[in-house]
Amino acid sequence: MAAAAPVSVTVRGVDGAPLPGAVVTLEVPGAAAPNPNGTYTVEQRDIQFQPHVAIVPVGATVAFPNRDKVRHHVYSFSKPKKFDLKLYGREDTRSVTFDQPGVVALGCNIHDSMSGFVFVTATPFAAQTDAAGRVTFAGVPAGGATLRVWHPSIRAAGNSLSQPTQVAATGLSTTLSLHR
Amino acid sequence: MRLLTARPLRFGSPRFHSLRTRLATLYAALFAVALIGVAGVAHLVIAGNARASVTAELAASGTVYDRLWALREASLKGAADVVARDFGFRSAVASGDASTIASALDSLRMRAGVPTAMMVDLDGKVVGATGPLAKAAAAAPFAMPAGRSDAVVVVAGHVHRLVLSPILAPTEIGWIVLAVPLDGAEMRNLERLSAIPLIATMLRRTDDGRWTSLDGSVPPDPALDRLVDEAPVARRPAPLELPSGDALALAKPLAGIGARAQAALLIRYPYAAALAPYRPLELGIGGAGLIGLMLVMVGSGRLARSIARPIAALDKAARLLEEGAHAEVEVVGRDEIGRLAASFNRMATGIAEREHRIADLAFNDTLTGLPNRVSLRETLDQLIARSARTAGRNGGVVVLCLDLDRFKAVNDTLGHDIGDGLLRQVGNLLPAMAPDGYIARLSADEFAIVLAEPAPDRPRALAQAILDRLAMPLVVEEHPITIGVSIGIAVGPGDGASADMLLKSAGLALYRAKTDGRGVLRFFEQALDEAARQRRELELDLREAVAQGQFTLAFQPIFDLKADRIGGFEALLRWQHPTRGWLSPTEFIPVAEETGLIVPIGEWVMREACRTAIRWPEHVRIAVNVSALQFRSPGFQSVVLQALAASGLEPRRLEVEITESVFLDGEGPVVALLHRLRAMGVRIALDDFGTGYSSLSYLRSFPFDKIKIDRSFVIPVAEDKSAAAIVQAIIDLAAALKTDTTAEGVETEEQLAALRAQGCGTIQGYLFSRPVDAGAATTMLATPMHAVA
Repeated sequence: MAAAAPVSVTVRGVDGAPLPGAVVTLEVPGAAAPNPNGTYTVEQRDIQFQPHVAIVPVGATVAFPNRDKVRHHVYSFSKPKKFDLKLYGREDTRSVTFDQPGVVALGCNIHDSMSGFVFVTATPFAAQTDAAGRVTFAGVPAGGATLRVWHPSIRAAGNSLSQPTQVAATGLSTTLSLHR
Repeated sequence: MRLLTARPLRFGSPRFHSLRTRLATLYAALFAVALIGVAGVAHLVIAGNARASVTAELAASGTVYDRLWALREASLKGAADVVARDFGFRSAVASGDASTIASALDSLRMRAGVPTAMMVDLDGKVVGATGPLAKAAAAAPFAMPAGRSDAVVVVAGHVHRLVLSPILAPTEIGWIVLAVPLDGAEMRNLERLSAIPLIATMLRRTDDGRWTSLDGSVPPDPALDRLVDEAPVARRPAPLELPSGDALALAKPLAGIGARAQAALLIRYPYAAALAPYRPLELGIGGAGLIGLMLVMVGSGRLARSIARPIAALDKAARLLEEGAHAEVEVVGRDEIGRLAASFNRMATGIAEREHRIADLAFNDTLTGLPNRVSLRETLDQLIARSARTAGRNGGVVVLCLDLDRFKAVNDTLGHDIGDGLLRQVGNLLPAMAPDGYIARLSADEFAIVLAEPAPDRPRALAQAILDRLAMPLVVEEHPITIGVSIGIAVGPGDGASADMLLKSAGLALYRAKTDGRGVLRFFEQALDEAARQRRELELDLREAVAQGQFTLAFQPIFDLKADRIGGFEALLRWQHPTRGWLSPTEFIPVAEETGLIVPIGEWVMREACRTAIRWPEHVRIAVNVSALQFRSPGFQSVVLQALAASGLEPRRLEVEITESVFLDGEGPVVALLHRLRAMGVRIALDDFGTGYSSLSYLRSFPFDKIKIDRSFVIPVAEDKSAAAIVQAIIDLAAALKTDTTAEGVETEEQLAALRAQGCGTIQGYLFSRPVDAGAATTMLATPMHAVA
């Protein structure tokens, strides 16, 4: 096992600007799956999903508490997890366990504008880009890996793009630019 | 006024024969020109208006089409959205439930009324359609810029409108695509939505970048390309020339999937259609114009007629006036034509008055006021014509010619004033006596009375009444005058079928009455006419005789009973007519007297007689008869002088024999001439004494050298005591006046004895000798002769 190294990835959109909110994952063969026993919550607050994108490990159970006065009907038609939380009210919490990796698009059947994602990942190296379009992973073992970017605006299957990469012992710092 | 000049006014080249046509044509032409002008201006204004209005309407329609286009999109998109957001549908799409998707699309197709509804998933798979359209629809969501949901594509030559609605779960998991063919039916739908009659046509871009219509109604044309390509910039309707007619057009390029439009909507407004609403207006203007033109033609025709009618009437009246008829025109109005008409009438009246006066002078005799010969002839013509129409059933036309017997004597003795007064009286008298007659004065002392269809005896009775009345004295300025009249009557149509013939016949009858001793009436007889013809012939022959010297002289001895020898010869005229032989002087002398030929004949006789007598012994005289007319002719004295001078005959040997008729026309001048002749030494004998108008006053007024006793007294002198007494009285009278006497026509010894016993100086007659020629006369003088008894 090689020593862990820091990996920094910057994502730029088709316009060349840093793309915040994109989920970058680094799949390293042999890396241990993250622990699914944490508490994961996607609130419905102000007719929005909070957070907009929730990154959870495979097997995690996510609670969907309703903080609004109106009722919501949260659903997903995504392949990794299809569910349908019929109308529930304020302070009513439903939970869903996501046992397949992938991106689950959340919607509310009442409020079309509500959109959220549960990013179910099997790798511990998964994070959202910050305002500068950057993510940083620490402790990544050197060697071959697959770098993957997901963002709803990416016009590709699963809204994600991937490319193989080599993490050096000293780590990796790279920029991914999206092209049309 | 120029209209009345000979050269007509000209309006352009055509010449009109009537003023009316000319005026009517002028008015109609002027109106037609004005009308065409109005119609032209109206058409221009209307066309301009129509163009402006079409431009505005088309621009407005373009805006409306834009909104309709957008509304249609919204409507289609709404319908698609309803399905795209349906939870069940989304669930079916998410789970790949193709049959549910297809049934939902079918339902959407029905609901939205579109022929094709498709679902395209993220992998580009299409549910609901196959073929090229599905392929185009599958590409559309991925190729279209974000935010657009509408595109017009050309697929296999057909234009389709694609409306996209994303299926959100809540991220896009696919799209519903509705495809609407933009075909003819869709265009008609669009046209129906417009308030104006537009034509919508779908254009598509060809491979070489030009524009053409799908239905072929608009052929490729650079102008069309320009119109479509400039449409996003110009955004204004522009004129477009098409084979089907000019139109105003507006092009709307329709956004395709890419940036470049593949199809365009062309909406156009044909000018013909734009002008259609104005057509009734134009037809109305045209129709009103035509009606106006007809009204103007009728009206100007009537106006022209009302102007031309008085002029035509003047024209006609002037022609009538020219032909001599009385003409007057109606005076209408107080304008120039009215004044002209009034002037014309005054002129016509003036002409008529002057004509009347001239006719009066020409047809009437100023002295008596009676019609003259000219008007008599006219009246006679009319009466004869009228009588001819009735075929003379009521009798014919009768003409009486009257001649005053002694008018000339009255004029000479009492003066012209009395003569005129006498004529006036006769002129008053005749109409009073013949109220049924037409009375005219023909010449100085000649009158005529025309009786139309009189009762059978009326002409004779009237003539007799006039004879009787004028046999009594008329008193003129206290002078009682017995004038006497001779009347000749001719009865038409037998005596003459025309005025001239009838007048001539009446004239002949009058002549006969005159020659028959005056104071009588005579009807015309055919013989008179024959005599007149012969006389005319004789006249012609006589002229030739004078020219050719057909005359000879015969000499009858006058025996001197006291000296018992021939004391002289009487020269007697003989005419050897070329065809009729010897003619008696009694036959031709009257004609010679009437024609005046007596003057040259008498001159010849005078010369010839003197020339013959110069060869005779000095005691033998030559007696020459001189007619009254010859005697009164101006040159008679010089004729005598020349005859004497040429022959060298002593004047005392010439004896001029005159009759009392020389005194008929006045005594004074005759007596003066007689004295002049006497002064020359010429002897004067009074011939035919005792007959005719014998008046002893002649014997007193002039001392004749000899009186010749007419044979009518001499012949019965031996048997008739009264004749003997008259002869005795004449001889005694002559003796008392110291005048010689000669008895004429002595044929028997008894007569000679009686005359000798009564103391007659000389005798003449067959007893002694017939007239002989010059040679015989000379021989006779050489032979001693003795009177027997």
